[in-house]
Amino acid sequence: MTDHTREALDAAALAGDILLASGAEIFRVEETIDRIAHAYGVQSSDAFVLSSGIFLTAGSEHEREFARVRHIPLSAARLDRVTAVNQLSREIEHGTYTPDEAKQRLLEIQQMPPKPSIHQVLASGVGSGCFCFLFGGDLADCAVAFVAGLILYVYLLYLVKGRLSKIATNISGGMLVTLIAVLLFRLGFGHHLGEIIIGSIIPLVPGVPFTNAIRDIADQDYIAGAVRLLDALLITFSIALGVGLVMIAYHHYIGGAVL
Amino acid sequence: MSPRLFFEFFAAFFGTIAFALLFQVPGMYYKYCGLIGALGWMCYELLLPSATAAISTFFATVLVILLSRFFAVRERCPVTVFLVAGIFPLVPGAGIYWTAYYIVTDELAKAGERGFATFKIAVAIVLGILLVFEFPQKWFRIGSKAA
Repeated sequence: MTDHTREALDAAALAGDILLASGAEIFRVEETIDRIAHAYGVQSSDAFVLSSGIFLTAGSEHEREFARVRHIPLSAARLDRVTAVNQLSREIEHGTYTPDEAKQRLLEIQQMPPKPSIHQVLASGVGSGCFCFLFGGDLADCAVAFVAGLILYVYLLYLVKGRLSKIATNISGGMLVTLIAVLLFRLGFGHHLGEIIIGSIIPLVPGVPFTNAIRDIADQDYIAGAVRLLDALLITFSIALGVGLVMIAYHHYIGGAVL
Repeated sequence: MSPRLFFEFFAAFFGTIAFALLFQVPGMYYKYCGLIGALGWMCYELLLPSATAAISTFFATVLVILLSRFFAVRERCPVTVFLVAGIFPLVPGAGIYWTAYYIVTDELAKAGERGFATFKIAVAIVLGILLVFEFPQKWFRIGSKAA
C-alpha cells in the first residue's frame, strides 16, 4: 500500500513537472496533480505550485509521509506536452494505467521531440510575412519580413541553442532582425521599413508568458502571475532595446533623416 | 468586403498556424487555431472604422476566447492550445515598435502617446481574457461531444 502511494505521488509530481515546464497555467498543474493522486486513492496530498517550482506533500494518520520539492526553470512553450499530459490524466481517472505504467507514459511524454527545426524556421518566416501584411505592409515588405523571420529562427535554433540568457537572446534577436530589415531596405527591397520590422520581431513576442500571466492573476495565483508578467515585460523591453539600438546606429549613419 | 480584407483573412489564418507550430501545438489542432486567429482579426478590422483600437481589440479578444473555450470543450484539450496562438494577431506589436522608434528618434511626446495607446490595447486584451474566463464551463458544452 505504501509503495503504491509513493508511486502514485511520483507520477502525480512528474505530471506536474512536465505541465509547468511546458507553459501550462498554475491551476491546471495543481488540478492535474490532485486529480492523479485522488484517482490512485491518495487522500492527503497537497500541492503548492509557483511559476518556478512545485511543492508536493502527503501524509496523515492513515497514509505515509511524502514530500517533494521540484525546481522548474521558466522555459519555452511545449503545448504538445500539455495536451498529452491532460489526455493522460483523464485516462488515469478512468483507471487505464497503474501508477508505474503512468510514470512510464509520462517519461515518454517528457522525451517527445519538438517539431523539426526546419519546420520551425519556415513557420517563423511565414508568421513574420503574414503579420507584416496584417500590420499594413505590401507584398514586397512581406517578402523581406519572411526572410528576416527565417534568419531569426536559424539564429535562435542553430546559433543560440538556449546558451544565452533570455535577455541577451531577445536583445540580439531584435538587433538581428532590424539589421536584416535595414540592410534589405537600403538595397531597395520593400517599401515600409516600420511594417517590415514589426512583422519580423513578432516571433520573439512573449505571447505565452503574457496570456498565462493574466490567467494566473485572474485565478489569484498572484506570485506566479507576477513572475510571468515580469518575464513577458522583460522580453518585450529586450526586443525594443535591440530594435532601438540598431535604429539609433542607422539614424546616425544616414544623418538623422526621417525614414 | 474590400479585397485587402479578404487577403488579410488568409494572412491571419496562416500566420496564426505558424505560431501554433512554434508553440508546438499538435498538428490536428492547426485548423482550429488558424480559424480562431482569422476570425479574431476580422472582428478587429470590421469594428475598427467605428470604434477605437482598444475597443475593437477588446471585442476581438472576447470572440477569440469564446471560440477557444468552445473548441477546447469540443476537442477535450487544454484551452491554452487554441488561446495563445489565436490571440497573437491582436498583440500590439506595432504599438511596441512605434513607441521604441519614437523614443530612439527623441520624439518623446509621440512616444508617450503611442506608448499609452499600446498600454490601452494591452489592458483591453487583459479585460477580454478576464471577462470570458468568468463564464461557467457548462455554457461551452452546447453542441460538443457528449461529456
